[in-house]
Amino acid sequence: MTNPLDGNDENKGGHRIEGGIDAVVIGAGADGLAASAYLGKAGLRTVLVGAGPEIGGRIAAREIAPGVQGVDGEHLITILDPDVIAELDLYRHGVEFAARRLDTTYFFESGEVLRFDGDLTQAALLNLEDDSDREALEAFMGDVLETAAFLRPVFAGGGYAGPGGNHQRQLEKVVNQAPPEMAARVQRYLYATAEDVLRARFDDEQLRTLLLAEASFRSASPPHEPFSFMSLLRRYAGEAAGLQGAAAYPKGGTVSVIDALRRAAQAAKVDVRAATPVKSILIEGDRVAGVTLADGGQLRSSIVIAAIDAQQAFQDMIGPEMIDIGLQRILTTRRPEISTARMQIILKGVAQDEATRRNMMRRLVYAPPPEALTKAFIDARAGRVPERVIVEAMFPAALDEGAALDKRQVMSVMAHPLPFDEAPDDERREAIRSVILDSIEIFAAGFAGRIEVDDLRLASDEAAAARASAGAYAAKPDVMQQWALAAAVTKGARISGFYFCGPEAQIGAGLSCASGRAAAKAALRAYKKGAA
Amino acid sequence: MIFPAEDFFTDAPRPTPLFSAVASQSDANLWTTVNGWTAARVYSSVSGEYETAKSGAALADLGPLARYSVRGAQAAEFLGRVTTAPAVSLHVGESARGLMLNDAGYVIDLAEVSRLSDDLFLLTLPAPHARHIALASRGMKVEANDISADVAALGVFGPQTAGVLSAAGLKSVNEMTAASGVLRGVETAARPIQFGAMPGMELIFPKEEALTIWERIMRRGAGAPIGLDALEVLRLEAGVPRPGLDFMPAGKAGAEPRTPEELGLAHLAPLDKGWFNGRRALRELAGKPRRRLRAFAIDAEEASPGAAVFCDGKALGRVTSCAWSPARKRVIALADMDAASAGNIYEISAPDQSGGRLAASRLETVESALAKAFAGEQGDAQRLATDFRR
Repeated sequence: MTNPLDGNDENKGGHRIEGGIDAVVIGAGADGLAASAYLGKAGLRTVLVGAGPEIGGRIAAREIAPGVQGVDGEHLITILDPDVIAELDLYRHGVEFAARRLDTTYFFESGEVLRFDGDLTQAALLNLEDDSDREALEAFMGDVLETAAFLRPVFAGGGYAGPGGNHQRQLEKVVNQAPPEMAARVQRYLYATAEDVLRARFDDEQLRTLLLAEASFRSASPPHEPFSFMSLLRRYAGEAAGLQGAAAYPKGGTVSVIDALRRAAQAAKVDVRAATPVKSILIEGDRVAGVTLADGGQLRSSIVIAAIDAQQAFQDMIGPEMIDIGLQRILTTRRPEISTARMQIILKGVAQDEATRRNMMRRLVYAPPPEALTKAFIDARAGRVPERVIVEAMFPAALDEGAALDKRQVMSVMAHPLPFDEAPDDERREAIRSVILDSIEIFAAGFAGRIEVDDLRLASDEAAAARASAGAYAAKPDVMQQWALAAAVTKGARISGFYFCGPEAQIGAGLSCASGRAAAKAALRAYKKGAA
Repeated sequence: MIFPAEDFFTDAPRPTPLFSAVASQSDANLWTTVNGWTAARVYSSVSGEYETAKSGAALADLGPLARYSVRGAQAAEFLGRVTTAPAVSLHVGESARGLMLNDAGYVIDLAEVSRLSDDLFLLTLPAPHARHIALASRGMKVEANDISADVAALGVFGPQTAGVLSAAGLKSVNEMTAASGVLRGVETAARPIQFGAMPGMELIFPKEEALTIWERIMRRGAGAPIGLDALEVLRLEAGVPRPGLDFMPAGKAGAEPRTPEELGLAHLAPLDKGWFNGRRALRELAGKPRRRLRAFAIDAEEASPGAAVFCDGKALGRVTSCAWSPARKRVIALADMDAASAGNIYEISAPDQSGGRLAASRLETVESALAKAFAGEQGDAQRLATDFRR
């Protein structure tokens, strides 16, 4: 199919009304690209508009130092929806994993180290001394992976989970249909705090510490609060390169997934337009009618998918006078408190010894002691920079030869929990920078002396780069609250033809595309019903 | 405007601005509490007060109702959003009834909107909804202030309404538009209101002047006060549901929410006019009522709320409120019925313990006629409305 508007230069700029479009997708991030690719594949004439000059949203390549390319946003793949990979043929469009099953080395305050196999079911490979600990871990991982896999539909639905788009109901249904043993386990895990569950399962302090760190990493819900165990289940429900609960590194970094999505969208004949900011979403009656562009032009279409943050979509583009008061309450009463910081550090020299080199091919996690972690959450919520933070680090060049540099190497770091600031000043940045470097120093003594450049990226920086609202990429609250928020935003203010798959629609942190897929599928269902 | 159900558990009700004035008129000295304010149930006798409203001019202290001034460039859009009243299309001086709906399309409360100037509106509600209003005004160029405690409000009903208005120095006022005037240096405003579906006027003046104006009206003998119990009869005759009694406002704990259609108020929330909060959800609910609020006339001298309503022998609903109507010489009741309860023979269980049943018949009220006319059925709303005024 050819788009009659392709190559028509007159429609760039000017107060033009464009018709002949079936669907408009706003936002050229991962979810927007995925959604538009699905629509295009189904034969709909789809236009994808992004506000910025680049495609990709939060995840983008950037020169962090002269001659050194970094990748903003995500540095690993943990919860990328396997259905999206398969259905959009992302392997054919260029996704290739450089490392499929990253082992993790956990570092503790005491200086001790524990290595986890990338396949979580392989607890037997652990260097644990006590057999009972190993058995406890094996049993625990078995339970958790099984439960997480069981709950995958309620995590992945993006808010379109089930007919009512209601996670609560979907969850009840799933639990009701489950075997009694599983239902009881889900009930228990649902309300539990991570601390309680782990204390009941493990005597070993270190296992507890590292799992607490995994549970609270990138979540705004501290491990001592209800529902916090669900964060771990959500993380382990994800799949990377075909392995549940694993982490993988794609060749060229996560930005290669964006490139593949873009190619998939282009192969599906999606008309991708960067630097085309949208001013408002047109609503006629209770139906969506298209979008008005910032330059005054209009794109008329009966389907609009917003893959931008909810503040922009509902408050700015639809407007408070057209959205329900309850949705507005949900959108305006949120106040993010916790965020994750990203840091890319260029280190001088390359590792010489074999042990270090092997470690660099792993995912490295510093797990602070549980008390320090609890205190870190309290501090971060109060707007103070904590003394200790969880650090996840990896070395792209060690996994991907293409990323290798001459006599230097890049270390990519995520640190959590940190306070969220809409507009952090230099002092705050410096404080965050030093706590991250201090935390790394604990497991890599003497590392500070090798730093050539360090590039700190806070949630507000990511938002600014992706032209999103300041709080869009702050850490997400507990899974229950995420469900409530996702259900509210994906109901899309009940405007027919309007679908939402911005960051608020996604459950859990990481590159997923599940909500983009869910929004596109919902739109296609309605489209086919209308066409029939 | 309709009073909500009384609240019996308020420890220390606040006196309304008109309290000392109306208290001096109260022979019965029978009081209750509405929204935390004092309200007189009876001044002299229910039948006497009812008669005044039908033939003279009855004065009601409307202080217990919640009142908001809404000002700003987007005031009309704001009210069009918070209520189903067509605020945007009101001319200066006009008023309109509407409903407050939640996101799911269920009724939170009744509402009345008056446009006082281009960017100033008055919103009157049976009960205060400060949080809902504050949330709804976020992001809009509008300022909504609760003025309930700052003004005295006097409702005037009956054929002699004009006499009261002229006594209050508002000669030029007609029954269609709001107006303001000055009485001995006191600024007063009058606006048409509807008590249920019954038309009347409301005088609003600063609370400091409450006594002055009340005295002036009384000295001229222009009207007599009417209490809540007599107003209740008028309300039932008009067939208007009372929040907290005939339905529980959506969002209240344990409330079984009702759509406008289920309350017989679909004409107050038209789906084809401007957008309002909950409209999109309401569109999905439209035409699928589960319950119906229906008006009945019962051949008896008394009936009690909670009595079962039988439709062709089957118990399909309950009386939610009822009163003796002197005009109809029967008991009038509103009953919450199963939506599929259209039958020929209606009976209501007797208030005594005998197990007997009272014959009843469906009653057409002003409100039900409006709903019918709205639904495109043959209704006689005009005749009923005129009847009612008489």
